[in-house]
Amino acid sequence: MAIVSLQTVSKDYLTDGQPVHALDSVSLDVNRGEFVALVGRSGCGKSTLLNLAGAMDFPTAGRVMIDGVDTSTLNDAGLTALRREKVGFIFQSFQLLHTLTVFENVELPLLLAGKPNARAAARERLASVELDGLGDRYPHQLSGGQMQRVGIARALIQSPALLLADEPTGNLDTVTGAIILELLKRLTREQNTATLLATHSAEAAALADAVVRLRDGKIEEILRR
Amino acid sequence: MGRLFLFYRLMLRPLLLEPVRALLTILAVTLGVAVVLAIELAGTAAAGSFRASMETLAGDNDLEIMASGGVPEAVVGTLTALPYSIRISPRIEDSAVIAVTQQTLPLLGLDLVAESSSWNRSESPSLGSAESFLPAEDAMHFLESPDSIWVGASLGKKPGDQVRLLINDQLREFTVRGVYPDSNGNESAIVMDLAAAQRALHRFGRVDRILLKVPEVPSIEEWRERLRAALPAGVEIRAQGSGTDENRRMLAAFRWNLRLLSYIALIVGAFLIYNTISVSVVRRRPETGIVRALGASRGAVLTAFIGEAAFFGLAGAAFGLPVGRVMASGAVKLMAATVESLYVSSRPGSIELNAWSVTLALVIGPGVAIVSAYSLAREASLVSPVEAMARGRREYMTRIHKSRDLWFALALGIAAVVAARVPPMGGKPVFGYFAAILLVVASALAIPAFADAILSRSSRWLGKILGVEALLASQSLSASLRRTSVLVGALSTAIAMMASVGIMVGSFRETVLLWMNDRLPADLYLRPAGAPAPDRHPTVSLELADKISKLPGVAGVDRLRAYEISYDGLPATLASVDLSALRSDHRSNFFSGRPTEQVLSQIRGADAVLVSEPFTYKHHVRAGGTITLRLGATRASFRIVDVYYDYGSERGTILMDRQTMLRYLPDPAPSNLAIYVTPHATSETVQEEITEASAGYRVLVASNRDLRTEAIRIFDRTFAITYALEAVAVIVAVMGVAGALLALVIDRRRELGLLRFLGASAGQVRKQILVEAGLLGLLANFAGLALGFALSLVLIYVINKQSFGWSIRFHWPVAVLLGAISVVYLATVLAGLYPAQVAVRLNPLEAVHEE
Ligand SMILES: Nc1ncnc2c1ncn2[C@@H]1O[C@H](COP(=O)(O)OP(=O)(O)O)[C@@H](O)[C@H]1O
Ligand SMILES: [Mg+2]
Repeated sequence: MAIVSLQTVSKDYLTDGQPVHALDSVSLDVNRGEFVALVGRSGCGKSTLLNLAGAMDFPTAGRVMIDGVDTSTLNDAGLTALRREKVGFIFQSFQLLHTLTVFENVELPLLLAGKPNARAAARERLASVELDGLGDRYPHQLSGGQMQRVGIARALIQSPALLLADEPTGNLDTVTGAIILELLKRLTREQNTATLLATHSAEAAALADAVVRLRDGKIEEILRR
Repeated sequence: MGRLFLFYRLMLRPLLLEPVRALLTILAVTLGVAVVLAIELAGTAAAGSFRASMETLAGDNDLEIMASGGVPEAVVGTLTALPYSIRISPRIEDSAVIAVTQQTLPLLGLDLVAESSSWNRSESPSLGSAESFLPAEDAMHFLESPDSIWVGASLGKKPGDQVRLLINDQLREFTVRGVYPDSNGNESAIVMDLAAAQRALHRFGRVDRILLKVPEVPSIEEWRERLRAALPAGVEIRAQGSGTDENRRMLAAFRWNLRLLSYIALIVGAFLIYNTISVSVVRRRPETGIVRALGASRGAVLTAFIGEAAFFGLAGAAFGLPVGRVMASGAVKLMAATVESLYVSSRPGSIELNAWSVTLALVIGPGVAIVSAYSLAREASLVSPVEAMARGRREYMTRIHKSRDLWFALALGIAAVVAARVPPMGGKPVFGYFAAILLVVASALAIPAFADAILSRSSRWLGKILGVEALLASQSLSASLRRTSVLVGALSTAIAMMASVGIMVGSFRETVLLWMNDRLPADLYLRPAGAPAPDRHPTVSLELADKISKLPGVAGVDRLRAYEISYDGLPATLASVDLSALRSDHRSNFFSGRPTEQVLSQIRGADAVLVSEPFTYKHHVRAGGTITLRLGATRASFRIVDVYYDYGSERGTILMDRQTMLRYLPDPAPSNLAIYVTPHATSETVQEEITEASAGYRVLVASNRDLRTEAIRIFDRTFAITYALEAVAVIVAVMGVAGALLALVIDRRRELGLLRFLGASAGQVRKQILVEAGLLGLLANFAGLALGFALSLVLIYVINKQSFGWSIRFHWPVAVLLGAISVVYLATVLAGLYPAQVAVRLNPLEAVHEE
């Protein structure tokens, strides 16, 4: 079964009274172990799609199912629980908390969920993104690539079934970006997550199991390899 | 014009986006300004526009003749015999209570025959419109009838009405013979003929005051010298109405201290403006850079931020005016009650919003805003455009110099200790106030280091106990240390003021309680009925005193007598005790620490007195010195044997043996009786006996316990206004916390939104903000208590001592402090509710939105 399933999903925004169709009847399934790239111009609806897939927002029309659960049936507490269990987010500008150490950033989702042994889990995740020994540093003591690794470790801390990455290499140089993408791909395999990656880099698309091309809120084509 | 438009567009319009926060800041200034204004207006009404009630119907005179215990009537003859054309108006001045309404009014005895003949010659009528007051020709014979009175129109009586009056301890029926207009600000008084008044008061052979109108040449000063030569040594001749000035002078310290207390809320408000402008400076750094790059000068940036502060100040002042006016009506009641019970019987004037008070509000509002924002505005103007435009984390890293500020704090603290040791200047504890201000500033400077130390040590530990939200809260507070410090500074200043005044009042109260144990040794006390006042001393009939002393259960009666006198330009009380009756224990109530018996034996029958502690501070005298008193017609010197503690009144008191007093002032009627019960009788049964014995007299008998309860009630009422002032300061501070947390939420919306992405529930976000509020409250309570303790020492040992002359024993009013602090703490946490709600309602998608 698909871990995330968008069924004829539309999303409209009202801007100055005018509806903007950010997404228009989009249907998409992503399974565990799949590494899917979302490509298209800026403003085509990539972030909107990721937010819907991560239960951070609701569609105007259609259904979003995460691991078989329709997000529109859940209240705020239910959505929070769903996100904690199933979804990890990775951001373009890393979104680390500057006042927390690397360890603390990584364990934050576990702590918010009230789970024990956060430190051990964080140590393990940091090892898997090859940041052993940097746990006590603060974000500003890291390079951009390292910061994004911390972001990835944080997204994976709860072993989510779904990993959503919104232009994770957008703030990195090409070489570092390529390394991060390799890492993401490897982790998708190792952790058996469904990874949905918004990008406009061709390199990223080249690595993906499937490439979804968006244009003006519509799926233009889906290339599977 | 263009600049004004730019100012609106860049500085004011953004405020509209956060109306709640802008309003909170304005409201803080409003309250600060309103309180200052209210105390100013109420003070003027309750004490400033004060006119001694005895000045009622005093008319237009130049000089007055006074003597402690009354002027011998013979002086009138002496004056009349002088070859000068002087108008001489002798007066009896006392008080009477209207039996039905229990209203206490001045009782004036005037020489109506002489006055009415002078009116007939239509010479400056002193009683308003002569026609309305003048007894009709055919009513002339009423003048000397002992039951004739004339009353003010505001009493609503008409000629022929019967009125029952309580005079001293006697209730008698009088007939209204005429009504005079008293609408023009004059307090209504009851007027009798001089002789009738003397009879009613049993006060023969003397008058209370003689008013004199002298010819225009030579000068009044010259007249005064000329007349003084003709008068006996004991009487004093001075400008008419000096009593009013004396009373006003007496009230000065009281007003002055309240006025200073009223500035606390404004100081707390200053912290909040500082915080608001600091948020604005940080947020507008990129804009500031852009505007500077586009050609704006440093001065323009400085002016813009100062202008923003001035806008808040001006808006606050504009709202503060009407709010202050309303608050003043509440304050005037409290202040008038205090003046009435501690200083002098008077009635408050009306509250008037005059040009001076409007100017005051318009100056202090923007003034305090500009002063508190100046350093920030300057800092903003000094940043280079390139640096300002650079975005990113650095823009939030405002400079803060923890350890340098800590050294400054230490230096100021030492300076405060030094200032606290400087003697008063012109009777005012100027350096005491200075020490208090230094301490407040020192604490504000020490707070960043303090907050940082506490937060960085406690955050992990808090996280373990209260969960990850607490960890995040504490980290976020230490990350914006400057903002945190300003908030803790504001709140802790308010708490410190509250704690220090609380400790001072609590210590004072405890001291008074202890003192009353020694001071009120008798079992029962008796005084004439009618409202008591510190400057009125109605008397008890002598026969009643004798009767009571013969009752079987009574072991002894101390006849106390008090006179309202003027000493060295200030009102004072001259009192005597009956040493033959006084039972006292062996505790000392004196500066010398000697037992009571020993001290009292030294004044027995001698020209020696004891003076109260406040008296020594007002008149710079001490044990061993001498004071000269004008008693009746004579002037006499008295040795000061010792100084006794007196917390009953701030007026200075001179105490002598009854036998000594009778030698100078032979009126034997006592003002109060202190009654000692035999060991075999109970004070309840004796109280009943006395009540029975005093049928036909209007007196009140109070047990020792009643008296204490009443004294403490008055004490508490006196300090009610200080509590009200503190409450406003705390409200301002709590509003500041709400406003600042709101700003914090807005500024940190990215992080708060991110938390939602990472799996935080709405409740967890709310909890984080509430924990932040709680931490702020905790830090402020610690800092505030520490500062409050230091300030209370300054209040007790410097400011209070120097302004009122009271030795107060230090005492921790634990229950009151705990209660107050818990309320403040709760309010602080509640202040976090709205910002927490805003945080919960933030849309995480927009918060984390990235391009
Ligand atoms: N909160 C919003 N309000 C209004 N319009 C929005 C909002 N978020 C996105 N949009 C619009 O929806 C469209 C899709 O945006 P987005 O999903 O962010 O695109 P992408 O991530 O591909 O650059 C754009 O036209 C954008 O302007
Ligand atoms: Mg996007």
